[in-house]
Amino acid sequence: MIIFQNVSLQGDNKLILENISFAVNPGDKIALSGRSGSGKSSIIKLIIGALIPTGGRILYNHAPITAANIADIRSAIAYIPQEPLLGAASVRESLLLPFSFKVHQKNRPTESRLVNVLEALQLPAAIMDQHSSQVSGGEKQRLAIARALLLNKKIFLADEITSALDTQSKEAVINCLMTPGHTVISVSHDPDWIARCNRVITVEHGTIRKEK
Amino acid sequence: MEALDISIFRLSLLYLFLLLPMVILYRFKLRLTKDVMISVSRMTGQLILVGFYLKYLFLWNSLWLNIVWLVAMTLIANYNIIGKAGLAYRRFFWSSLLSVSAGTFTLVAIFLFVLIRPTPFYDTQYLIPLTGMLLGNCLSGNIIALERFYTSIKQNREEFIAYLMLGATLQEAIAPYLRQAISACVTPIIATMMTIGIVSLPGMMTGQILGGSFPLVAIKYQIMIVLGIFASLVLSATGNILLSLPSAFNSYNLLRDDVFCKNKR
Repeated sequence: MIIFQNVSLQGDNKLILENISFAVNPGDKIALSGRSGSGKSSIIKLIIGALIPTGGRILYNHAPITAANIADIRSAIAYIPQEPLLGAASVRESLLLPFSFKVHQKNRPTESRLVNVLEALQLPAAIMDQHSSQVSGGEKQRLAIARALLLNKKIFLADEITSALDTQSKEAVINCLMTPGHTVISVSHDPDWIARCNRVITVEHGTIRKEK
Repeated sequence: MEALDISIFRLSLLYLFLLLPMVILYRFKLRLTKDVMISVSRMTGQLILVGFYLKYLFLWNSLWLNIVWLVAMTLIANYNIIGKAGLAYRRFFWSSLLSVSAGTFTLVAIFLFVLIRPTPFYDTQYLIPLTGMLLGNCLSGNIIALERFYTSIKQNREEFIAYLMLGATLQEAIAPYLRQAISACVTPIIATMMTIGIVSLPGMMTGQILGGSFPLVAIKYQIMIVLGIFASLVLSATGNILLSLPSAFNSYNLLRDDVFCKNKR
């Protein structure tokens, strides 16, 4: 599904990633672990074309990721950073933001679908009437996941998404994302999250140190 | 009726009065003394020179000479817009030149061919001052628009990528930043239109009244110029941003690293 072939990434003054190779299979739940600055987040950003490799190549469904197919790849993948963008004044508008873009305009979810997705993530339906600035960090993370679920995304790139969640909310997020139909590549230090992953890849100084 | 002349000696007294604001700036350690001295000297020198130039431009009233003058004005304005916005000339020169020229000269053409209709149409008395006023306002507005637009995309890189990840095209992803930039650039002219005639008597109208025009004629010219400034500002600033996109973003729809001039990266 996603294959890294000897991928390197050169930063301004240092090599961020050096000859990284690994393959992600459909349904994989991968946790990237390692110290901060080791290059974990860069791996995720390379997949979505937010960074461009300076060596090697990345394949998505057997084709190299290039400018020509990056829009399709971005629309197939959900990227949930530690501090997600809500991007609109109210929570409802934020949830519906992607459906204002041409590519998703025809798939606008119904009210009941919105409520169901929110409930699955332990969020009350009333949160939709709140102002975006009033929601907490943990709620923001779950709203970003809700938006990805509303878009029917199957591949999730998650950067420390359980960092601001309590136990109950975390369990809800795990239940929503860690399903057989989803592929998840995550950066996480959370033992509960890592325990639910089938692969743990340790990144150190820009190289893959070990995998289990 | 002509305006009363000011003698050089009496005008130079005003330069002495500048000592007062300079002391205030120095007292509050604003470190603007050098900038003020340079800008006052440049303003004086440039206006003396332009006085001489304009004398001959008016005297000869030549189409070609006017064109040369307009080209020089536009190039200098364009150079200043890109430089003051902190952007790289090689990425923005042509898009900015095209937008500023289109935004300004469309309005100048409307002024000359539809509203004023001087004979000949390139009459220096109308062409040069009107173009100068539009260009001057385009200059400050375009600096604000470009600087605001590109700086906010750079500072909010993660947010910008998030828009792309939610399915936005480049045009959809830049929309919030475009709105902010255009709003920042037109806010001053909207504020001016709100208070014009009450708080401020604008320069052009004051100049015309001092020069002996009837106030009603001066008012009509002032309305024309304010509407013209507003329209040319929106046209040129929006065009400037939109036309610069292919050069400023790479094929992955990410802002290129070299859009800013070296000392601003």
